[in-house]
This record gives sequence, C-alpha cells and structure tokens, in this order.
Amino acid sequence: MLGDMRRIVWTAAAALLALASACRPRGGCSGDYCGTLVVALTGEPDVLLPPITEQSESQAVLDQIFLKVADLDTTLNTFGDSAFTPLIARSWEWADPKTLVFHIDPRARWQDGTPVTATDVAFSYDAYVDPKVNSPYAGSLRQISAVTARDSLTAVFRFRQHYPEMFYDAVGALRVLPAHILRGVPREQWATAAFGHQPVGDGPYRFVEWKPGDHIELAADSTFFLGRPHIRRLIFRFTSNQQVAVSQTIAGDADMISFLGPPDVVARARAAPQLALYPYRGSVHTDLVFNFVDPADTTRPHPLFAERDVRRALAMSVDRARLLQSVFGNLARVPPGPMTPMWWIWDTTLAQTKYDTTGARWLLERQGWRDSDGDGIRDKNGVKLSFHLLVPTTSGLRRQYARLLQDQFRKVGAEVQIDEVEPNVLDTRARTGQFDAVLASWNTDPSPSSGIAQTWTREGFGRSNWGRYYNADFERFLAQAESSKTRPQAARAWRGAMQVLNSDAAGIWLYAPDNIAAVHRRVAGVVIRPDAWWALIRLWRIPGDRLIARDRLER
Amino acid sequence: MGAWLARRSLAALAIVLAVVTFTFLLIHLAPGSPFLPPPGRPVDPDALLRTRHTFGLDRPLPVQYVRYLAALLTGDFGPSYSRHETAAAALAGAIPNTLLLAGAALVIDFSLGLALGCWQAARARRAGDVIAGSVTLFIASLPTFWLALVLLLVFGERLRWFPVGGLSDPVTYAALPWIGKLGDRAWHLALPALTLGLVGAAGTARYQRAALLEVLGRDFVRTARAKGLRERRVLLVHALRNALLPFITLAGLAFPFLLTGAVLVETVFAWPGMGKLAADAIFSRDYPLVTASAVIGSAMVVTGSLLADVLYAVADPRTRVPAP
Amino acid sequence: MNPRAWLAVTLAIAAGLAAVALLRRRAAGRPAWRRFFRHPPAAIGIALLVSVTALALLAPLAAPYAPAAQLDIIGLQNQAPSLLHPMGTDLYSRDVWSRLVYGARISLAIGALAMAVAVTVGAVVGALAGYFRRSVDAVLMRLVDVGLAVPRMFILLMIVALWEGLSLPMLVLVIGLTGWFATSRLVRAEVLSLRERGFVESARALGASPARVIFRHVLPNAAAPIVISAALGIGNVILLESGLSFLGLGVAPPIPSWGNMIADGASELATAPWSTLFPGLAIGLVVMALNAVADALRDALDPSQETA
Repeated sequence: MLGDMRRIVWTAAAALLALASACRPRGGCSGDYCGTLVVALTGEPDVLLPPITEQSESQAVLDQIFLKVADLDTTLNTFGDSAFTPLIARSWEWADPKTLVFHIDPRARWQDGTPVTATDVAFSYDAYVDPKVNSPYAGSLRQISAVTARDSLTAVFRFRQHYPEMFYDAVGALRVLPAHILRGVPREQWATAAFGHQPVGDGPYRFVEWKPGDHIELAADSTFFLGRPHIRRLIFRFTSNQQVAVSQTIAGDADMISFLGPPDVVARARAAPQLALYPYRGSVHTDLVFNFVDPADTTRPHPLFAERDVRRALAMSVDRARLLQSVFGNLARVPPGPMTPMWWIWDTTLAQTKYDTTGARWLLERQGWRDSDGDGIRDKNGVKLSFHLLVPTTSGLRRQYARLLQDQFRKVGAEVQIDEVEPNVLDTRARTGQFDAVLASWNTDPSPSSGIAQTWTREGFGRSNWGRYYNADFERFLAQAESSKTRPQAARAWRGAMQVLNSDAAGIWLYAPDNIAAVHRRVAGVVIRPDAWWALIRLWRIPGDRLIARDRLER
Repeated sequence: MGAWLARRSLAALAIVLAVVTFTFLLIHLAPGSPFLPPPGRPVDPDALLRTRHTFGLDRPLPVQYVRYLAALLTGDFGPSYSRHETAAAALAGAIPNTLLLAGAALVIDFSLGLALGCWQAARARRAGDVIAGSVTLFIASLPTFWLALVLLLVFGERLRWFPVGGLSDPVTYAALPWIGKLGDRAWHLALPALTLGLVGAAGTARYQRAALLEVLGRDFVRTARAKGLRERRVLLVHALRNALLPFITLAGLAFPFLLTGAVLVETVFAWPGMGKLAADAIFSRDYPLVTASAVIGSAMVVTGSLLADVLYAVADPRTRVPAP
Repeated sequence: MNPRAWLAVTLAIAAGLAAVALLRRRAAGRPAWRRFFRHPPAAIGIALLVSVTALALLAPLAAPYAPAAQLDIIGLQNQAPSLLHPMGTDLYSRDVWSRLVYGARISLAIGALAMAVAVTVGAVVGALAGYFRRSVDAVLMRLVDVGLAVPRMFILLMIVALWEGLSLPMLVLVIGLTGWFATSRLVRAEVLSLRERGFVESARALGASPARVIFRHVLPNAAAPIVISAALGIGNVILLESGLSFLGLGVAPPIPSWGNMIADGASELATAPWSTLFPGLAIGLVVMALNAVADALRDALDPSQETA
C-alpha cells in the first residue's frame, strides 16, 4: 500500500513538473527591434521626478523617460558648445555673448501626444530653481538669469556673465518637464505627487510599471522622433546590495550591471561566459565627509570636527593607499581631492595630507585630546573623541571601508561607531545635517564646476553640501576658475581651490574606482558614457540573430 | 461547542487588544515621536495633517490611545514613510507572500518530518536511527540565515537550479499562461521554503518519532499485530492516524517560529514578505511600518493558535473541553 | 597558533572531558543521572559545552591575536586555513580563530545572561501564579498569553528601531524580558502539582510566609523544568542574537559575535567560505549540544515522559 501511494505521488509530481516546465513563455518577436534588457540596480529609486532626485538609480531610469535640451557626446568636453548633440533642441545660436537661443525640434512629443514646446523648457527652468522644489541642481543653474519662450519653438536663455562652460550649465542638469501636466500640481507636493510614480515623458522609453521592491519596467516608444530604440523592453531590477546585483548578473538573471568593484568580483564576471566587460573612465569618487555643524543643533559648530587640527589628524591617520590596495587591488586610484580621473583637473601633484600616525597623535595631544581614563579613547573636557560614521546598507565597498577606517582611527585613539542605514535615510540625514561623518559616493558630472560648487560652497547648504563646509578663499578661487577665459588660467585657480580643501581637511578622499561594466554578450553597439552609463542605452541593439527567449516575449 | 468557541474567540481578541496596548505604550515610551516623519523627509502636507488628526498626535495620552485603537479598527496603521503608500497597504501586499512562504515551509516541514520520523521509528535505536537523529538535531540547531546563504550560493548562483532571489521573473511572468505562472512562482518559492522548512522538519521528525514510538506501544496496536497484519500496515494506518492529531496543533503553533524565521530568510532571498518588510522598515527608520508589522504579526499568531485549537477540537472529540 | 593557544585548547578539552567523567561518577549512585547518561549525545553535549565555555573563559590565552586586529589588510586578507591561522583570516585580515574564541564569550554570555533574566522573571511569575491562584493567576497567565502571541523577532525589531543605539547590556535585558513566558507556564504547572501533593499546605501550616514557601520549598522542587527550559532557551537566544547581529542590529563591529562574523563574511561566501563556515558550525554545535542536554535532562528528571 505504501508502495502504491509512493508511486502515485511520484508520477503526479513528475507530471506536474513536466507540465510546468514545458510552459515556455510564448514569444514571437523577431528582427532588430526586439530585445529585453534587464539591468541590475543596487537600491531603488525614490521618486521619478527629475528635479527632485539626484540619486543615480533614479537618474538611470529618468533619462530614458525625459530628455534634456541637448547633451554631451562621448568626448565630454564641457567647454564651449561644439561637443553637444541636439535632443529637444534641433539647433541653437548665440544672439549675443550672454544670450543663447534654442530652436525646439517640432517633432518632439510628450508621450500623451502633446508637442514639446519652449513653454515646457521655461517651466522646467522655473521649477528647478524654485526653492519650494528645493532641487539639488538649483546651484548649477545659478549663472542663468532667465529662461523665456519667445514662441512655441524658441527658448531663450539669458546669462549673468559670459564664461566657457555656459552651454554646459544651460543643458547639463535641466530635464524638460511637461508643463501641461505639472502646472496643476503645487510645487511643495512634487516630492510626493503621483506623477513621481507614473511619469509621463518625451524620451525614448515610456513608463510601464513600477513594482515597489522589485522592478521598474519601461517600453520603447516606437514613435520616438530621434529614432526608434532597438531594445523593446527595459527592466530595472532592484537588489538590496551590490553582491546580490553581481550574483544576479553572473547567474544570468540580469543582463547588465554598471559597476563591478573589487578585483575578485571582476574575475568572477570575467569567468562568466555570457558576459562581456566594458571598462570606462571612473566617474565615481567616495569621500569621508566631516560635519562642521553639531547634528543636535545645526546652528552650533560640531564638538569634534569644527577644529581643523582634529580633522587633519584624522586624515593623517588613514593610510589611503593601503586601504585602496586591500579593497580594490589596482582597480582604483587615490584621489588628490574630491574628484575623479574623468575630470581635467585631476592632478596628483596637489599637496595632500600624508599618512603619518605619529604626526596625527601629536596633533591630537597638542589640541588637548588625551586618554585620561585609559580606555584607549582620547577625551578632552569630558568629551570623548568618539563619533558615528554613516554608511549605506547597499554598498559593500563603503561598509568594508567603514570597518577598515574604524581600525585606523582606533590606532590614534578615536572611536568610531558604524551606523548602517538605508540610502534614502542616509540622504535625508545627510542633507539635514544629522550625522557626524558620512561616507559619501558621488557620481560626478563631466565638469567639476557645478559639482564642486554644489558640494563645497554655501550654495549647497541643505542640499549637496552635507557637511556645511564654508571657506571664503575657496569660494574666491572657485569663482576665478569659472570665469577664467583660458584653460591654464582655470587650472591655476582650480589648484588653489583644491589646495584650500586639502589643507582644511574638509574630508578624506578615499577612492576613485576605474569602472568596469558587465553586459551580456548578445547586446551590440554598447557605448558607455563615463559620467552616465545609462545615457546611450537607446542606441544599443540586440541583433535579430542573437535573440534569446526573453527577447522574443511579447508583453 | 458554540459557547466554547465564543469564549475562545473573545479570549483571542483580548490578547490582540493587549498586544496593541503594549505596542502603543512602547511607542510612547520611546524617545522622539515615531509617528511623525523624520526631519527632512519630504512629506505630503495633507497626508501629515491627516496623520496628526487620526492619531491625535498633539492630544493627551488617553485620547491618543483611543484614537489609535479606532484607527486600527478601521485598518489605518498610519503612513509608511519609506514607501509611498500607507503602512496597511504595504503590509497587505507583503502578507500573502509570507503566508505563501510559511505554507510551503509547513508542507515541506511536515512531509519531510513525517517521512523521516516514520523511517526512524521503524528502525528505533538501531544505527540508522541514531545517525539520523544526530543529523536532524544538528540541522535543527543551525542558524537559518546561514543555511539560507549557503543554499543560495550553491543552488542559486553555482548550480543555477533555482533563481537568485525574488518572487517571480520580472521579464517573463506577465506573459506566462496560468500554469507557467504557477511554475515560476513555485520555482522562486522552492529555495526559501526549503530553508525555512528544513529546520522545522528536523524538529518535526524528532517529535513524530517519539509520538510514533509511544503509540506503537499501545494496546490497540498490539491487538492489530496479534491479528497478523503486516507491520507496515499497522504502523501507517493505525499509528499515524493517532499521531497526526498533534500536527494540527503544531501547525497553529508554528506561526511564531515561522514569522521569526521569515525575517531572516526573506531578507537573504529578497522575498517580499512581512519579515523583509519589517527588516527594511528598520533600516529605513520607518516606525509606523515597524509597529504595524509587530501588531499584525501578533494578530496572525493569535489567529493561528485559535484555528489550531478549533481544528483540534473538531478532529478529536475527546478534547472538546473549555480551555483553561 | 602559538603554544599558549594550544595549551588553552588542551585545557578546555580536558575540562570538558573531566566534567563528563566527574558527572558520570556521580551518576553511579543516582537513577536520574544514569538515565541522563543513557543518551550518548548528552555526554558529548556536556563535554562540548564545558569545553567551549572553558575556551571562552581562556580567550586571552587561546587567541593568538586580538579579535579586532587587522593584521595586514593587503597580504593577509581572506587567507585559507593554515598552521598560522587554523581557521584562516577574513576580509579584513583578522584571525578567524581568535574572533571565534572571543565571539564565544559574547554569544555565550548573551545567551546565559539573557536566559538568567528570562528564567528569573519566568520562575517568579510562574510561582506567584501557582501559589496565589485565582485572580493573580488569571492576570499573570493572560500576560503570558500575550507574551506568547507576539513573534519575538518582531517585538525585538520594534524595540531596536524605536530605541536607536541600544547598548549591549540593554539588548541582553530586552532579549531576556521577551523570553520568560514558557518558563513561567512550566513553573506554574510544577507549583500546582506540588500544591496537590501537599507540599505547600504543610509549609504554610508550619507558619512559613508566602515568600519563604515559594523560595525555599517550591522553587527548588521546580528546578527540573526550569533547568530544561533554560538549556533550550540559551540555544534560542544564541540563534536570536546571531540573527539580530546578522541584520546589523545586534553586536556592533568591531566586537565579534558569531552572528556578525557571519554577516561580515557573507559577501565572501564564494571566495572565502571559512569566515562564515566556522561561526555557523560553532552556533550549530553549541545549540545542538544544548538541545541534546535538554532532551536527556527531560528524560532523566521525568521518566514518565520517555521520549526514546
């Protein structure tokens, strides 16, 4: 009897299994316009509204849905206007040195059919600089005094002064928004409005669905005026951390990942037969940023970090080269300042803080930080040299660095507690100054000007200048750099600015990795722009003879 | 029976009320004001106003308590600050996934446990029994998240027998026929359910073995043996029926263990259930969602044990006595 | 591994074996002990537990390196087990064996202390309920029902979230306070049965106060279920703490606990499995030993519940 039962159970199970596995999803798409690309994203976008968010996960999705007026080509030359490709604007000219006139392409359409007009451009500029929207990009638009719509297809940008990167400032950050839809939504509610979860854009891809915690799906717009995208479906899969994202890509559950990281991960990816590796100039740098104000009361200076010598001592206690080698091998570089090798101002001859634990200890002693109770942690007037380091849960690299730094600081008598929180929480806390020190990763613009200004000047208070660093000399150098007419002149000013940052020890510049992306071999025409790996996905193709099952699916 | 059921249900409700009160007190003992959004977080001003009103956040404590109860009764657990939906909506989306996982884990738990327990009972105290006993004890003692990591690496990434996390395949799921959907779900469910069920199966096997051995010694089984029936038949038909009853109780009482295990297993496998929701809520410092998870989790446990009691009473007439 | 470490390991193993031998000798005269030692896993379990505890106590001797010491983050990362590092090194070039030994201190201490809290509270509550009966009993047992209804992990998560930056002692206290419910039921049942057998009445007749009755007469007799639930409870706490530490909510780095060792090593599971294998095995073995001992105890102290 038992034997009979067993036989029945096994047969039933086998039958069910055969039935279920025989169900391949039906798909009949063929040709060059099929293709499903699954992108493994670490973390999940917070909101899909361009002016609100500066998270690179959100941008990766947003730049498929929304267009800029014009965009950089792969040379990433931000001086002048010769290295830009037309997008919404078909052409442009300079009415005078401080006035830029764009001619909108009449074929540009919003995905609900309405034409894109100059009114949309003016509306978007207005929203980006509106304090109620509090866009992190507002600072990069500060040299523009006004944007007006001369007629429905002509947008006029007026600048306060003439300088080399004018064009880049006009088009670099501004994604054009649909005025006819967003005009009715009060600006204070933009961060939580429904549009942020069901965006309507004018770009190569349409929003299809967002399953929270799982994925976002986009579909190619076959009527896109600049050419129908070859890849029909774009699926961004969220993963809780970098390792899972890598795991999924190697296992074939995802088709691409934009950043591999440490050498052993690169080796694993290289060993995966279906992946091709694409190295590109690093556009990310990670720093430890000190908070200059007291997290408990942002009107007062930080009890530890307001003292320059404490910051300098901590900077001197970190053997950055060694940490880098331990984590990255030779796949990253120690930045001489808060910059990436992609920037023309990358200059390893800059005077940087040297690794010197003896000097660090001496500095601390001199400032009165002594270990009075023998617990290994210095103190002064009853305050311990102990602080919290904020780190996101999604970045294995930063978590690793946090533990390595913890040990480095311990050796000079400083105690660090590691706080691991979700990226959105980190973002909120950092912007509102509720932290002691944070490990910040910046995916930079091709040009240093807007990024550095946003992060290290008074402009960025409450936005990207998390630590509320301010130095008048620094800002003077920066202004000089921006208004310089020639490269050598600008270079000198930049050197001066970076020198100030370094001697102030405003942060500890930890690593700038050389990025390597892994993309499935079947994808052809892969071009990765270093500052925005997602920017040219609309040009990638999966040729008809290389389609696999998931490409053929009709949804 | 009806009176007993009514009393038992009332007792269950009282317990849930007590849990809710305890949660409320805990929230208010904690530093800060958990139901308000963390400073700096963008919040829809209308939603904030509604939250303040619903929970009476500026009123004295007793008023807040009453408001809190009233809100819970209407299903309003407050906003979820890390997700763009209410806490109730987030939970409503996550609970079915956890129930699915727990259900599958229970099936694996019982089938494996029963099979193993029978096998061991038939070989009581011989070599096979002792070895199996030690192995099951070891597996029951392993930390579930460790097991989960190992299984995910070996069967997910290395052997590719199962997918690396997730509920279903985002690419193909929508286009599959219903049976394909079922297959896809089952394929994604297999590894997490196995992890959660394996540890429980070890415990069940030990319990079943003991229960079977006890029953085997009873008079009626000896009578059956004397009648000359085959050992196997005796074991299965008679002994099993009696030993099965505790299963019902075990199923109801397994809830706390399953929910606790779910937090870790769901996190490792990225399975979007209640456990992962609670863990993510912690990382996002989303207090309303954390407390909502605790309250709902407790309600589920109470319901589970109530169901177990009812089923037990229905199945075994000997136990239809009022609960103490 | 240096000679001192080997000495410590030898001492620990010797201590374990000695404990078993000692108890076995004691067992000769008592039927309960004999029943206990009829289970081979029980003896092995006792030996293991004593050894691990001894090792944890001898940690400074047994660990050749400081547990938080990052020895050489370039040259000694993720080293496979070798003579110098018998359990290898982890991602931060820390010696896994040293961390395991110091982690034993933390994990076992948390287990024992939390359980001590739980057993104390549970015993007192159970005794009070069983002694005073009626309304006191009803109220206390409802409380126990509530406690059993809440999934422990969820309530711990809630507390850890609401009180950010909870210190380790407070965490131990909270874990203990969420785990006394089963103990109280057991003690209550024991007290009620003792009542039936007249112990309580006779003590009262002699003029003893309730407190004296409870502490001098009832609790010692209820020791059996208390010890058993304590043994099982410690195992549960160790698993719970390791889960919390894995989520980053328990013991914070650089202090090692078996749970956060697994968390730190999880990313290297494919390339350096030893940093998660050994703490995982350690947890499994210790919890298994505790379960085996609890099983045998149950047998020994109450033969009517024969499980073999």
